[in-house]
Amino acid sequence: MMNKYFFVIRNTWEEVATYRFNFAMWRFRNVLQLLTVYYLWLVVTPVNGSIFGYSQSLILTYVLGTAFLSSIVLATRTQEIGENINTGELSKFLIRPFNYFGYWFARDVGDKASNIAFAIFELSFLYFILKPSVFIQTDLATWFFFGLAVGFAVVLNFLIGCLLGMVGFWSSDFWAPRFIFFNLVAFLSGGMFPLDIFPKAVVGFLQSLPFAYFLYFPIEIYLGKLSAEQIFAGFLTALLWVVALLFITKIVWVKGLKLYSAQGN
Amino acid sequence: MKKNYYLKIWWMLTAATSQITFQSRFGAVLFLLGKIFRFAFFFFFLVALITKTKTIAGYSFWQIVFFYATFNLLDTLPQFFFRNVYRFRQYVVTGYFDNLLMKPLPALFYPLFGGSDMLDIIILFASVGMIIFSAVHLPVITVGQSLIYFLLLANGFLIAAAFHIFVLSIGILTTAVDNTVMLYRDLTQMGRVPIEVYQEPLRGLITFLVPVGIMMTFPSKAMLGLLSAQGIFIALIVGLGLFLLSLRFWRYALQNYTSASR
Repeated sequence: MMNKYFFVIRNTWEEVATYRFNFAMWRFRNVLQLLTVYYLWLVVTPVNGSIFGYSQSLILTYVLGTAFLSSIVLATRTQEIGENINTGELSKFLIRPFNYFGYWFARDVGDKASNIAFAIFELSFLYFILKPSVFIQTDLATWFFFGLAVGFAVVLNFLIGCLLGMVGFWSSDFWAPRFIFFNLVAFLSGGMFPLDIFPKAVVGFLQSLPFAYFLYFPIEIYLGKLSAEQIFAGFLTALLWVVALLFITKIVWVKGLKLYSAQGN
Repeated sequence: MKKNYYLKIWWMLTAATSQITFQSRFGAVLFLLGKIFRFAFFFFFLVALITKTKTIAGYSFWQIVFFYATFNLLDTLPQFFFRNVYRFRQYVVTGYFDNLLMKPLPALFYPLFGGSDMLDIIILFASVGMIIFSAVHLPVITVGQSLIYFLLLANGFLIAAAFHIFVLSIGILTTAVDNTVMLYRDLTQMGRVPIEVYQEPLRGLITFLVPVGIMMTFPSKAMLGLLSAQGIFIALIVGLGLFLLSLRFWRYALQNYTSASR
């Protein structure tokens, strides 16, 4: 039963290996984006002081940590769902003996594995070159909650990715919502800066959105900046979002399938 | 006469592209919102940062805003004019480029100017507005500094044009466009902040080897009176040199075009 999904994961990995130049370019672009944020924080953070409650060591760990987390959380293949629907490819999947979303989740896992492999290499290289002082978390319980938060982030991103792909049932413009999503995630997930640099009211609002649980929440747990209450409240909000998104995904899928006309090439 | 001829064709192509863009108003609105978010969020980030630190790499609040606004102008203007570069791969792999070569236009015209993206106009206006507003808050600006600023803006646009011509040429030789043009975008994104933010050797690399610094931050530095005559001279030489080199490379690519398509 699980074997077929394992093959999907392996095929995705091999697909990346086939187009390795494209993939390497994509990863190189990620490094360029990381460097801007890294140096910007480096230049504004005093060596022995702090900014927004972050010491230089914590903020650089934050920047490098979110870069690594991005490869786990944000790597996805769900952008292909819209095309799948628009070209009529979906028909093939509907008659195959596996769960459509299981297939895409397996694709995501394969894609994430490739991204993680590259990210480890890139960050090790950058660490060797830049020699930043980074914070190493030693508490096992914190590691556990960090891992759990990453799990929630992966599921949240997957569900939103599926929903954005299913726009294809209604419109051929499935790239436009994803473009806006990319831009929202780039900033509101905390990938560029910790969300708590904003005033408390803004932070409260941002934490009520799902994006904050992509990168900001896990990395804040890792850095030990959250109290037990804040961790509990964070997991509760993330769980509510997962349940709500699961429910919406199911409704959209059923409604979308009723509209689906297998039109395409 | 000839100038009007090209302008008229550009206008017709842009009108046609705009019709396609606005065919789906839903998509157009979302793309526009995405661009506005990207513009605004990074600005808010810079504001939050500099409100706390007072300066970034020695630059004050309004200087940083001026740098960011100038970056956005130089980032958006080439996107507005050279949007067709993003579609060029399709022309090559489908064989449509053969058709373009037979038209009574220079071979570079349609791939480069064949349809501007009207959605960028709002960001262009916002950038110009932000440049004027922040310039008012800068310390003394002379007419000379302003003239050099405009000259280096034009030079930055020339470098952007050169990069896009390189991308098109690589597209002809390898059919790969998407990654190279996005690589250009990511490299230029490093110019969102003054080049002094980066440490050596990266600063040197992105100033002279990949002239993001010359393109994006030299105009602002000239406006602030922080660029030497030697720096201005080097910037102009690099701009002109890159542009001429890109034209040579384009000719080389055209000579090696095999017309192989599906």
